[in-house]
Amino acid sequence: MKLYEYEAKKVFEKMGIPIPKQYGVIRSLKELDTLKLGFPLMLKSMVLVGGRGKAGGIKKANNVEETRKIAAVLFKLKIKGFPVDCILLEEAVEEIGACYVGITMDPATFNNVVIVSASGGVDIEQVAQNNPEAIMRKEIPDNSKELSKTVAHDLALSLNQSLKGKNETTKTLAEIIAKVYATYQRFDARLCEINPLIMTSKGAVAADAKLVLDDNALFRQVELLDLLGITEKRHDVAERTKNELRAQSAGFPYIDLLSQPVTKDQKKLYVGLIPGGAGYGIFSIDEVSTIGNRYFHDRVIPVNFMDSGGGPPQNRVAEMFHLLMDYPVVDLIVTSRFGGISSCDIFIRGMVQAVKERYETRKRMVPVFGRMVGTDLPSARTFLEKAKAENPEALQNVTIYVGNQRIMADVIREGIQKAFETKGWKI
Amino acid sequence: MKLVPPDQGMLYYIIENKRPDLAKKIKQSGVIETVVVGLGGQGTRHAELMQQYGTTITAGIAPGRGGTRLLETIPVYDTISECLKEHPNIAVASVWRHYSTAKDATIEAIEADIPMVILISEGIPLKDVRDILVAARKHKTVLIGGNTPGVIFPPEGIKAGMLPDVFYPEEVSPEEFGPKGVTIISRSGAILYHLSDALASVGIAQNAVLGVGGDGAIGSTFRDLVPLAMAYKNTDLVVMAGEIGGCQEELLADDIKKNPKKYPKPLVALISGAHAPEGKTMGHAGAIVSPGQVYGTFQSKKQALENVGVPVVNSQYDLIIEVQKRLQKKIYFDVENYYRKMKTIWDAPSKKPGWGTLITKVMPNNLLISGYPLQDLVEQKGFLETVYLLVKGEFPDKKTAEEMRKIALEGAKKSVPKVSRSKKEDISKTLVKYFVLDEELAQYPEEGTNGAVKKTVFAIGRTARYLSGILGTEKALEKLSGNEPFSHVIYRAVTGNTTVNEQYSRMIEAMIVACVDHGVTPPSAQATLIAASTRAPYEVAVAQGVGAITDVHGGAGAKAAQFFTDCIQTSKKENIDVAQATREIMRKYIEEGKRIEGLGHRLHTKDPRRDVLWNFSSQTGIAGQHVQLSKKVSTIFEQVRGMSLPINVDGVIGAIVADMGLNPAMAKAFFIYGRIAGLSAHYFEEIASQPRMRQINFSEAVYKGKGPRSIQ
Repeated sequence: MKLYEYEAKKVFEKMGIPIPKQYGVIRSLKELDTLKLGFPLMLKSMVLVGGRGKAGGIKKANNVEETRKIAAVLFKLKIKGFPVDCILLEEAVEEIGACYVGITMDPATFNNVVIVSASGGVDIEQVAQNNPEAIMRKEIPDNSKELSKTVAHDLALSLNQSLKGKNETTKTLAEIIAKVYATYQRFDARLCEINPLIMTSKGAVAADAKLVLDDNALFRQVELLDLLGITEKRHDVAERTKNELRAQSAGFPYIDLLSQPVTKDQKKLYVGLIPGGAGYGIFSIDEVSTIGNRYFHDRVIPVNFMDSGGGPPQNRVAEMFHLLMDYPVVDLIVTSRFGGISSCDIFIRGMVQAVKERYETRKRMVPVFGRMVGTDLPSARTFLEKAKAENPEALQNVTIYVGNQRIMADVIREGIQKAFETKGWKI
Repeated sequence: MKLVPPDQGMLYYIIENKRPDLAKKIKQSGVIETVVVGLGGQGTRHAELMQQYGTTITAGIAPGRGGTRLLETIPVYDTISECLKEHPNIAVASVWRHYSTAKDATIEAIEADIPMVILISEGIPLKDVRDILVAARKHKTVLIGGNTPGVIFPPEGIKAGMLPDVFYPEEVSPEEFGPKGVTIISRSGAILYHLSDALASVGIAQNAVLGVGGDGAIGSTFRDLVPLAMAYKNTDLVVMAGEIGGCQEELLADDIKKNPKKYPKPLVALISGAHAPEGKTMGHAGAIVSPGQVYGTFQSKKQALENVGVPVVNSQYDLIIEVQKRLQKKIYFDVENYYRKMKTIWDAPSKKPGWGTLITKVMPNNLLISGYPLQDLVEQKGFLETVYLLVKGEFPDKKTAEEMRKIALEGAKKSVPKVSRSKKEDISKTLVKYFVLDEELAQYPEEGTNGAVKKTVFAIGRTARYLSGILGTEKALEKLSGNEPFSHVIYRAVTGNTTVNEQYSRMIEAMIVACVDHGVTPPSAQATLIAASTRAPYEVAVAQGVGAITDVHGGAGAKAAQFFTDCIQTSKKENIDVAQATREIMRKYIEEGKRIEGLGHRLHTKDPRRDVLWNFSSQTGIAGQHVQLSKKVSTIFEQVRGMSLPINVDGVIGAIVADMGLNPAMAKAFFIYGRIAGLSAHYFEEIASQPRMRQINFSEAVYKGKGPRSIQ
């Protein structure tokens, strides 16, 4: 979970990492009047994406009027799709140099790694690509709570040398590096970063602060969440679509692959997926794309990622079908149920429940093509046969293969072919 | 189908690499022992599935549950170190603990030098995972996961984790599996079924499937496991199933480039996520942590692997083509036959639910206590040895038997609380009062080694004292010498005599032993089990069972004794033949609508306890007119009623009690006395082997204890 800059700075302050003077956070222009400001100050848009500066979300102001004008502009801004709901106002610090300090986990070794660079600032990624030697990194293989003094000192020394700073700055930098590391460990962070760490005549100041918490550890970071007044896990990836919100409230992972709202290409077949666990959720998107590309002139578009694994209860299964059938672009639903631990029976009941209900209430119906194998197969098969006999019209466009004689790729291909034939499209 | 012996399979190969000493022991025993760490709902359910698949689960670990049993038969320990003291050959641990406590449990397994640890738990904080990795590196553990679906070895029929049983091994003959095949190593669990399906559809076997785990930091990566699988002689090809995100696939490619010798066999990579939406990026550090490198995308992985000659596929069709090409279209089994087999497995009716007891196997005309015929126990073993057998499953050695006798004596010596009793009060009700009011019994510890059996034996001693309280024979128990056999104590309590008639004493003990248990279905056992399931205290649960022993259940002996006495007396009084007198009394009973007790049994037509007690009564010279009559009563009943009902154990005991000249109520007292032992055993078994407050379906109980055996 990402923290906003002002939240991260609260944490930094608590941990003794120097930050610029904080005047406050405003959610409306009115709130400006309640703050005691000093000038010059920085107005910073609080959004959980990078590149705020380049998008015009960070501005300097020298007096109240200017502040008000800029704030009014910022509140109307959208940065990479995120609206600016609040603005941080803080002291603008004069800068004589900027560097980078960050701690994260190395994805190759899974060790913590301390990264420092004298080339701090917004273009640090460019530096990493074009000039890797300007980045110093040190892995900490023992996962210690605190950074050893030697390591902090050595990193600070080389950093200071690159910065060409005064001798006593090394000590300041070492302290900050150690504190950033301690913050990272103490609060179960995935990332703790200062970029830039600004060198001023009075010392170093964290002009920006980035703290990403480990979602898996939130349960034990109660004190931190209390300090920040956070009561529930924040969704911090992108604004959710209608479908995604609906899936979330029903309790299953779902992602729209097409940007919303969708303008449907009438020459293409849109396939919704109810595929099983997350791994096959990703893979089935590839399968549909590949098969569409190879056998159907690239006229097939998968519309969603879904994790329908783990043995969902019947009502949730029904909701998976409802969601995709309510989604107007979907022409065909491909489903695969492997009852490893979960039951084929519950799955098929959920599907039939949804389809019957839609038929009876005259809601939009979408053909379903799929396969089921595994646990409770006999009862699932009996149930489906009986349901089809009793509701031949409602279930006429539901085709479910039983057993694994036909691999899923064949099932997908056949389903698409049938859909093409129904539409009268040439293959 | 005959499986591949464990010491020929890949799991053994992995263990041998890490712990040759342990491998030797596996060679000797022919068994790879595993332990299940974390016995919540998931751990317990999968322990059963693993066991059904063929995995040997030696023990379970759950703090606070040491001394209990998993799946009714597998011992549970509080810690791994305690477990390894008893079972030093454990080679694999699967960890199912909740993410908040998984770290300590996993590190414990690693530090105990278990060579292979499968970390199933998902959602463990990354900081904890790093601590686990530090320990695993230090101990050179093969750590798989966290968040892994586990590992499965189809040729040997072993799995640790939650992978389903769909993976199919090589067939070397229609009756025998072979060890060769393709090894699949995957980041995702859900995709594995489809890889297995694709390969099996063209007859390609899977000799092992390893799930590396989906969390942000994991124990073994592709770079560790692909070379390991290739080094195993029976792996012909490796399929690695990667996906977007992370850099494992790129690192593998890098390693193939640098150390090609580690990769002597063909490798096919399946990478999913080519069409997945843009992943999330995270600050700058994510992008600059490996300066100058690009990783994590489908393209970066595909390029890296293809650059070192590994074919990268993205669909089932291409997987089949590439694998077949590299195996020269080798076929490991007949595909049609495989489909038939899978269909049979899936079409099989679901398993009947059941739960297990190890105490008594109840069959028509046969009762086995922990494998020993009950009649043999009546004949050859004393009450205390039988009590020990009921609770512990084995007889005590000499020293332990002596210890038990002393505990029982101690119980009989201590005074009991005063209990008021109305004259006609049922003896079971009075005993219930004693049980519930007796603080000595309540305070007696039941923890620690042998705690359960010691407490039971103490209760058996106390019961002698309760009986003396009821019968007013307490004086006879006051001057017990330390060497007195416990059968003498019972004799004193029952008769109030201090000079022991050895024959009578043995007869009483035999009757008590005959009543010790009849499995979990008698109402008394049900009552105790239900109380035990709510974890009621021992004495309360046993009192519930005792209270359920009424005239309807277990109390018939007293009435039978009365009946036989009436018959004999009538024959004397009216000077008629006993059979004649019996017929008359029977007719009278029938007219009055009274039951003739001691006849008929819901299960036994020839009660196994009958002959042994009859014989015993003859040998001890006790058998008289009443026993004589009891042998004929069935026939007489048929003459009166036109239907045949066999005599039951209550009838036999009633007759013997009458011949001994004891109060008829004693017949019921002996039944209860014996049954207290059985109730105690069921109480402790429930506590040790079942979850709290489970719904007990008594008809689903299955005997899972020792097979038939005889006393040497």
